[in-house]
Amino acid sequence: MAQNTGSGAIPRRSWGRTGLETSIIGMGGYHIGSAKDLDTAKRIVDEAIDNGIDFFDCAWDYHDGKSEEWLGQALKGKRDKVTLMTKVCTHGRDKNVGMMQLEESLRRLQTDHLDVWQIHEVVYYDDPELIFAPNGVIEALDMAKKQGKVRFVGFTGHKDPAIHLKMLSHHYPFDTVQMPLNCLDATFRSFEAQVLPEARKQGIAVLGMKSMGGSGELISHGAVKPEEALGYAMSLPVAVTISGMESLDVLHQNLAIAKGFQPLSASALQHLRDRTKYEASDGRYELFKTTKKYDGDVGREQHGYPSAKELPA
Amino acid sequence: MRPFGRHSDVKISALALGGHHLGDAEDEPTAIQIVHEAVEGGVTFFDNCWEYHRGKSEDWMGRALKGYRDRVFLMTKVCTHGRDQDLAMRMLEQSLNRLQTDHLDLWQIHGVSFDNDPELFIRPNGAAEALRKAKQQGKVRFVGFTGHKDPTIHMKMLNTGFPFDSVQMPLNPFDANFHSFEAMVLPELNRRGIAALGMKPICGHGDPVQKGLLTAEEMLRYAMSLPVTTTISGAEKVGVIRQNLKVAQSFQPMSADEMQALRQRCSKMAADGRYELYKVTLQFDNPEARMAHGFPLDMQSEEVQEMMKATLNTGDPFPKLQK
Repeated sequence: MAQNTGSGAIPRRSWGRTGLETSIIGMGGYHIGSAKDLDTAKRIVDEAIDNGIDFFDCAWDYHDGKSEEWLGQALKGKRDKVTLMTKVCTHGRDKNVGMMQLEESLRRLQTDHLDVWQIHEVVYYDDPELIFAPNGVIEALDMAKKQGKVRFVGFTGHKDPAIHLKMLSHHYPFDTVQMPLNCLDATFRSFEAQVLPEARKQGIAVLGMKSMGGSGELISHGAVKPEEALGYAMSLPVAVTISGMESLDVLHQNLAIAKGFQPLSASALQHLRDRTKYEASDGRYELFKTTKKYDGDVGREQHGYPSAKELPA
Repeated sequence: MRPFGRHSDVKISALALGGHHLGDAEDEPTAIQIVHEAVEGGVTFFDNCWEYHRGKSEDWMGRALKGYRDRVFLMTKVCTHGRDQDLAMRMLEQSLNRLQTDHLDLWQIHGVSFDNDPELFIRPNGAAEALRKAKQQGKVRFVGFTGHKDPTIHMKMLNTGFPFDSVQMPLNPFDANFHSFEAMVLPELNRRGIAALGMKPICGHGDPVQKGLLTAEEMLRYAMSLPVTTTISGAEKVGVIRQNLKVAQSFQPMSADEMQALRQRCSKMAADGRYELYKVTLQFDNPEARMAHGFPLDMQSEEVQEMMKATLNTGDPFPKLQK
């Protein structure tokens, strides 16, 4: 595959009917809290903004709030330059919990409103039911929008396309939906094949994530190169691809891929899918689908499940 | 710099950096620093292997060699352990991706350790066909094999008639006295114009050095003084690569007499193989290779224990890359 020259601006895309427009790559919030220290996190965010990345992801429960706090400090004076998202982690609890978490997120992020607020980690089979139950968190989304505290709402999950489809079957006016999208996903329990077309049909902006497997598994196990992984994800019909960057090295790697990015051709995409079929077909590199290792303990606790660490391997 | 066997237009450094120890480095920045200091210090030959640390060694080396790829001679190994050529070709693609390159300078069969490995290698649809194919496709320039077990198995591999460009083996003053690759395999390689790659210059984990029998410098100098193309030595710490570079940069070959004296000093200690456990125990037999052969796993083996540990649930995604 041709190497991207890494020069030029990061391309931008519009987010369907929301009217938002952001860089095609966004910064993942979990990894902001994995940075070495606050200073490093600030430099990563600063440099990202200077280079044209203007979508920032986060969640209420990332690193017990550290991700939001660090992102809030890093965005001081720059809030208006970016599209800011965080997520609510009720995991089945009611709308009041959702609204309390919203206030906490706003305080940590040092802002009076969010551009996007998503329901976090819809990964269990009873989640859609709990979310849409009377007094469920879906009512918090309505309320927050009405109060002007959030502009757009959506949901996210990394587990199973069937759960996403169940969420979408309610035809709630979600503005966004986030899902894992990478070249291995195309072969195994595929969000790309099952959810992406349905979201587009409903006019919902799609946010891709886990282009490299969540913790870089696709790269470190050798299935693909970083530019292939990110290039594949950014070539899909999505609004933005969210990528975690816990160090300046990773940021620089991603900037080099995203700057002046030209989408891969349909045949190049197909070639990548075909080439990674062997690695993809038992889900061993998409651990977020096949193991509990990516399921947050807050959510597990709310469902009454043991923590990920207490499970057998 | 020394010629690469019969391909005398290709020159590589007399000291090479081993890939296994790189994955033992404390963290990725340390590994990157080790590689960079090696390159700046004149090392051009870099060793690695598909299965070292389940990919971490290749992954880190790929990141470290960014921008340096064209300055080095890069080797990795394929771990079919008797299985077929398709698996070998898939491993090649994974290695290329991790190492972030479109070609290898050298691709070797890893861990030729069991009596039937040569047969399995050369059989129809075996890994030998993958070596040929990879060369034809321009993905690898040269091919070879490696093993630490038994010189007679190396000889069996050579006698398959496959046109190897290189062969890797343990070479140190202890080996000279016990199941000796130096005595049995090295002369044959030189006769055939096959590049001889020495490894385990200080007996793997440096047992004789830790026990104060020999110095690391003596042992490395001995290995580098043999008629080999390069000597592969691992470094999991920056201090180790600096020490090795110092030896290599001021290297003067030992005289025949000096070498003989060193061999004699070790002869008694070498004679039961206790300093070359890779030849005599199952401890260094790769668990993946044992499984591929259908041998039971030895739960006492350090490598098996490591493998089991890697499958324990930490609650975190594996592998943890950057911290």
